[in-house]
Amino acid sequence: MNVKKFSSILLVTIFLVAPWLNSEITSEITIPKVSQEDVTFYEVNPCKVSLIRFVINNTESIYQNHFYFRPDNRSPIECFGRISGVTVLQKGLETQFFISIGTSSALNLLLQGLFWIGCLSLMPKNSTKNEKNLKIKFHNLSIFIVSYYFTYSIYAESRYYENILYKFDLRNIKTYILIFLLYYFIAINLVEVFEERSANFINYLPYVFFVSGLFSGFNFNFFSTIFLYLGVRSFLSGETNRFFNLSYATLAIWWLFNSRGSFYFNVGKIRGFTSSIFEFNANLSWIIFGYLLILGLRKIYYLNKDNFSLRIFTKNLSITSFLLVVLGVISSNLPLINFLNYYYLGLQRWGVESTNPFAYEEFTNYEGVTIDIVRISWRGLYPSSETIGEFYGLCLMFVLFYITKKKKIGFYDYLGILSASTGLYFSDNQTSIILIFCFTLLYLFVLNFKLPKIKPVILILLLATGIGSAIYVFVFGYFNEAYIFMSESLTSQGKLYHPSEYVSSYTEFIDSNYERESLFSYFFGAFSFLAYLLNRSEMWGIFFARYNPSHSELMLGSGPFNLGQLYGEVNINNTEGLLLPHSSLLSYIVYFGIIPVSILFSIFIYKLLTNRKNIEFNLVSIYIFINIIKNDSLNYFAPFILYTILLMLLNKKERLPFFKDSFFENQVGSADKVNH
Amino acid sequence: MTVITNICGEPPKDFIKIDIASDPNFVFVNDSDFNVKQLFDSEGNTVFVNSYNECQHYVSGGWDFTPAKNAELAMQDSLLYVVVVLLVLTFFKKKIRSYI
Repeated sequence: MNVKKFSSILLVTIFLVAPWLNSEITSEITIPKVSQEDVTFYEVNPCKVSLIRFVINNTESIYQNHFYFRPDNRSPIECFGRISGVTVLQKGLETQFFISIGTSSALNLLLQGLFWIGCLSLMPKNSTKNEKNLKIKFHNLSIFIVSYYFTYSIYAESRYYENILYKFDLRNIKTYILIFLLYYFIAINLVEVFEERSANFINYLPYVFFVSGLFSGFNFNFFSTIFLYLGVRSFLSGETNRFFNLSYATLAIWWLFNSRGSFYFNVGKIRGFTSSIFEFNANLSWIIFGYLLILGLRKIYYLNKDNFSLRIFTKNLSITSFLLVVLGVISSNLPLINFLNYYYLGLQRWGVESTNPFAYEEFTNYEGVTIDIVRISWRGLYPSSETIGEFYGLCLMFVLFYITKKKKIGFYDYLGILSASTGLYFSDNQTSIILIFCFTLLYLFVLNFKLPKIKPVILILLLATGIGSAIYVFVFGYFNEAYIFMSESLTSQGKLYHPSEYVSSYTEFIDSNYERESLFSYFFGAFSFLAYLLNRSEMWGIFFARYNPSHSELMLGSGPFNLGQLYGEVNINNTEGLLLPHSSLLSYIVYFGIIPVSILFSIFIYKLLTNRKNIEFNLVSIYIFINIIKNDSLNYFAPFILYTILLMLLNKKERLPFFKDSFFENQVGSADKVNH
Repeated sequence: MTVITNICGEPPKDFIKIDIASDPNFVFVNDSDFNVKQLFDSEGNTVFVNSYNECQHYVSGGWDFTPAKNAELAMQDSLLYVVVVLLVLTFFKKKIRSYI
């Protein structure tokens, strides 16, 4: 191990321990144990005892599941790493202790940022001289602009931050200078570390599922700094697409013009990738974010495409899956580790507290007779069980690609198969389980057997006959009644949630179409049928009960990464917490409208056709497409960047017949050219 | 809740705000129903107020600080200096390395 690597590990270790030693109480004073009867010591002495002293005096808090450590972002800087309060709650027979740990947001920016820079520095450096010595244009200016953007985002979402930043006067310029300098310091160091490793970034991208990189208290992701920086650099260097710029600018003008009103949105588990408020400034901030993110993704693809190594990428997918499953289990059993994971991995949500990943829930009727037994999905460290299930599925798919090409299985492949299968089972993402099963069979079949050549005309005729028969059987034939029930499931579920006095414009639109029995009602009926099959009737029904767009908003959306208007404009009956639309497609229709989403969909179909002989592209893209239709994956930062980059990477038009020149054919052998 | 309500409490029912600035000889009348409050300014100076009227007047004039707030602002200032030093070290990192 070289000195630099050792010093990185040492630095990371110091960051892990030092902050939690901060105490005001000397070692002579005895710190009492927390108990159901008495927590007065902690009420009288807030922000006096360090976390480590608390844990030493309450050793059972490390492993007993009724202790909950929570970061208190709205606490003084002096209170960092100390116990800022203890709350006792009685839940049934269980006494729960909620222990608040002072984690001042301003210091989080510095501490978490430096910790993650330390982690990033463990990534191998670029190997070629060109990559190392390349003079980068607009380097400093880009960092300055990104830091300025970050500071502006605090101003734009000040309603969110005034509840987070303790004693920060958001009307005072001095506050913004401090925030700017703090972020600038992090950004300048991050970019320096990144530049030296830029060509390896995609190979190590799976780790963003493990280290989410959310600054505690902030609605901003650490890793987005890299993409924003590259985006600004691309913009300043003119490495942009004129058509994209023009289209995005046109849409942006409309979105800004349309930013009327003020709708607050509780960001919840999608923190870091959604706006906390629908307002002009917030909308502008997220429009810029979206634009720079796309440019940044494109840039990182160009920087990495020649260095992509299937071997390293698959190995990292396997290790990430392993870490997610193992640390997820540890987290759920050890409350202290759960807190440290939340803080150091920058999670959007606490790690799951259910200790049994095999748990089932039993539903009984009024007579107490069991009517259904349902698996409880287990998400581990990730905020969404379905999304992490997709990740495990993707890991299995890439391990399959790799071992098929390499024709032998190594240690990391076993690790990947074992941990990703376990994680996929725990997450209970049934769509991913079915897709992975079918795709594995299909992939092996395609690689081992010669497919009969079918003329496109015959294929279209076969498809048309199949679809026609299905329509006849379901819409007019034997299953007609069942189809009617299923095709009206969305509207009937939606109506359960909107109060009778006011309905959303989209619900009105659907109702009027059903009354007139227009062509659209048949399309929507088919969509409703699909929702029923995917068990999405309730979630999508709630979405349509809320969705209240004008005609223009329906066509062009209301701005990227902003759900404030959707959740604030129409009051619906109470739901269980924050229920996202459960479909990235629906979220993106809210963001961008039907026209841009349809164009994207057309491009996707076009890419599928042009890559029709590229089996890996087809499998990965269909897998992603089906999952994003029925899940909120693209509302999370990590899946968004991983999926986008994978689709760009696997998209090859030339020379890819199924088995001989498959995409990864040369990848296995060429893996060693990247320094690792 | 406004800063005034937060520090001085709810205004009395018969409270009418008087424009004190236009009367340099104004003398505040003590209110026996009002609990005496200690106010602080940004420099840590302190004053005791004896009526809601006096309290809201001082708070509006910038006496809305507390020892906790002053301590936090001092910490924020310290943090600012620390970041500036860190930035200077970052800019001159290469030169510093060559000396070590």
